[in-house]
Amino acid sequence: MFDTVTKSPTVGTVHSDNPKITARNVFVDYGEKRAIDDVSLDIGVGEVISFIGPSGCGKSTFLRCLNRMNDTIETCRVSGDIRLDGQDIYDHSIDVVPLRARVGIVFQKPNPFPKSIYDNVAYGPRIHGLAQNKAELDDIVEASLRRAGLWEEVHTRLDQTGTGLSGGQQQRLCIARAIAVSPEVILMDEPCSALDPIATARIEELIFELRGDYSIAIVTHSMQQAARVSDRTAYFHLGRLIEVGETSAIFTSPQHELTNSYITGRFG
Amino acid sequence: MTDMTDKTQTSSSKTTLSPATARERVAASLAARHGRERRFRNYGRFAIALAITFLLILFGSIFTKGIPGFFQHYVTFDVVLDAEELDPYGDASAQSLFDGNARGVIRDGLFDLLEVSGRKNKKAAGRIVSEGAEQRLRNMITANPELLGTTQTITVAVDDDIDSFMRGFISRDTPESDRRINDLTIGYVDQLVAEDRISFAVSDYLFFGSASRNPEMAGVKGAFIGSLLTLFICLILSFPLGVGTAIYLEEFAPKNRLTEFIEVNINNLAAVPSVVFGILGLAIFIGIFGLPRSIPLTGGVVLALMTMPTIIISSRAAIRAVPQSIRDAALGIGASKVQTVFHHTLPLAMPGMLTGTIIGMAQALGETAPLLMIGMVAFVVDIPGGFTDPATVLPVQIFMWADFAERMFVQKTSAAIIILLLFLIAMNAAAIIIRKRLERRW
Repeated sequence: MFDTVTKSPTVGTVHSDNPKITARNVFVDYGEKRAIDDVSLDIGVGEVISFIGPSGCGKSTFLRCLNRMNDTIETCRVSGDIRLDGQDIYDHSIDVVPLRARVGIVFQKPNPFPKSIYDNVAYGPRIHGLAQNKAELDDIVEASLRRAGLWEEVHTRLDQTGTGLSGGQQQRLCIARAIAVSPEVILMDEPCSALDPIATARIEELIFELRGDYSIAIVTHSMQQAARVSDRTAYFHLGRLIEVGETSAIFTSPQHELTNSYITGRFG
Repeated sequence: MTDMTDKTQTSSSKTTLSPATARERVAASLAARHGRERRFRNYGRFAIALAITFLLILFGSIFTKGIPGFFQHYVTFDVVLDAEELDPYGDASAQSLFDGNARGVIRDGLFDLLEVSGRKNKKAAGRIVSEGAEQRLRNMITANPELLGTTQTITVAVDDDIDSFMRGFISRDTPESDRRINDLTIGYVDQLVAEDRISFAVSDYLFFGSASRNPEMAGVKGAFIGSLLTLFICLILSFPLGVGTAIYLEEFAPKNRLTEFIEVNINNLAAVPSVVFGILGLAIFIGIFGLPRSIPLTGGVVLALMTMPTIIISSRAAIRAVPQSIRDAALGIGASKVQTVFHHTLPLAMPGMLTGTIIGMAQALGETAPLLMIGMVAFVVDIPGGFTDPATVLPVQIFMWADFAERMFVQKTSAAIIILLLFLIAMNAAAIIIRKRLERRW
């Protein structure tokens, strides 16, 4: 009975009036297996959009298409049209290095480099040549750590290893690392799933503070989290985008039967 | 939804065991399980004990045989350094000293001490001193020409037969005709012992001498330096090439038939008998490229071929052990593939790569067969001064000494084996230290 329902077009407006990223008719295949089936979605400038859905629905896959992190997976094939500020990011002339500097990503499991806290944040600016001198680099590191709400906790021990921090601090360090290269979009792939509730609350506050300055797409398994942090919510199911809309609307009056079943906890 | 309800329904005729029965059966199975664990632990302990026993026997035997090899007998007496005899041309040059009669001066010194007269007696007494004494004396004069004309006390090695006699390997009870030294010589030796002229001291020939047919003069210095030179060539070729290959295959190469074929071949190369690499080196490096034989350069290249598969395999394992999340982190903030590899993957994989390299180097250090093929078994008396000087290596030297008949070579061989083992232990210790320095947590 699901098949007939999932083949129907997306409910709600996929368009954004002021889009940062526009994705149209995106298909993703892992070898024989289709992971994303004809998804179209815009991400607006400065908005927070959350991707929700049951496990294996393709929300992380779609997220990773947006800065071409899927390129690292050998069997993965992406087709369709994804544009950042109107430019096709899958065009042959596109270099993924500047693309990923503009579209940063934070992963599910905190993955700081086994280097000092300072070097973790400074790595991006260093490889992209963002700082003209040491003082400027220091400023970037401090500003990024402040932005990630970590400065107060770590400014006395910047030379200590980043892997020695607690899980929540590590994840904020990863966010600081992403912010340090001044991205326009930040993708977050279940950033809180490995964290305790207090650390999760800190990250959610942080996302709230970053809203407006960055376009943020966040994949989450927690519907409460989606409801708390995002402006819009997209519901994925079996590789299809079922419904998208204002977060308040999705959670109070979902239009699609599947969305309704998911948010009322019937499966997922 | 329908299949879920099917699974939760259970047939009413079948029930699970009552808790009491279940507990009983668990208790019964427990004894068997514990027994199995105990037995497995004991197998392990037994195996370890067996291994340690054999290791102790091996080391015990090598050291009891080898430690005496580090010492040899010396005889001390006065010689008159007559200028005319020793330095006929009067310029203390090598040629002059060589043409001089160092042998006669030494013999006269010894004969004076023992009050020897008569041809037969002189012949018997003359056998006591090693041929190496002449070279010693010449070197002494080259270093200090003002010694000419004075009387000096010299300490020189005794001949290997006398050394074996002193160690008790040649018995006086053997009939004279079956003995390598006659009664007359033994008489003079007894006289020297009585006058406390013979000493048993650390063998300087072993450490500073080179290959020699006279066992009392044979040493490992030439072979040791040959080994160092050969290993150096081997390391600078196989490490960068091996690590580079591993990085390319793991991080850059497309996964297709060709790379799969290359991988299979590298794995097979690690199992190829080393003598085959020797034949390859002989055919290609010497036959086609015309490299000279018997030199560390050629030996190093051949050993590099042999160690490369080991380095590649262990380096690939080390690269694979670096968590994908670290690569993702670097790629995610826009590091290029090469930056990701060289800034993150490589430093984290380095300890593992070094371990593999040291294992490969240790293999190369102990390798004999391929070097025999390319002529590094030559009898090289000179200590090699460079990569293109004829040389031999420690294991080949051991192999050659083991082949010689003289009794004293047994001790020299054991001593050389100990030196080889110490060299290996030093290399491994260095590897562990380097690895600990580089190791980082993630």
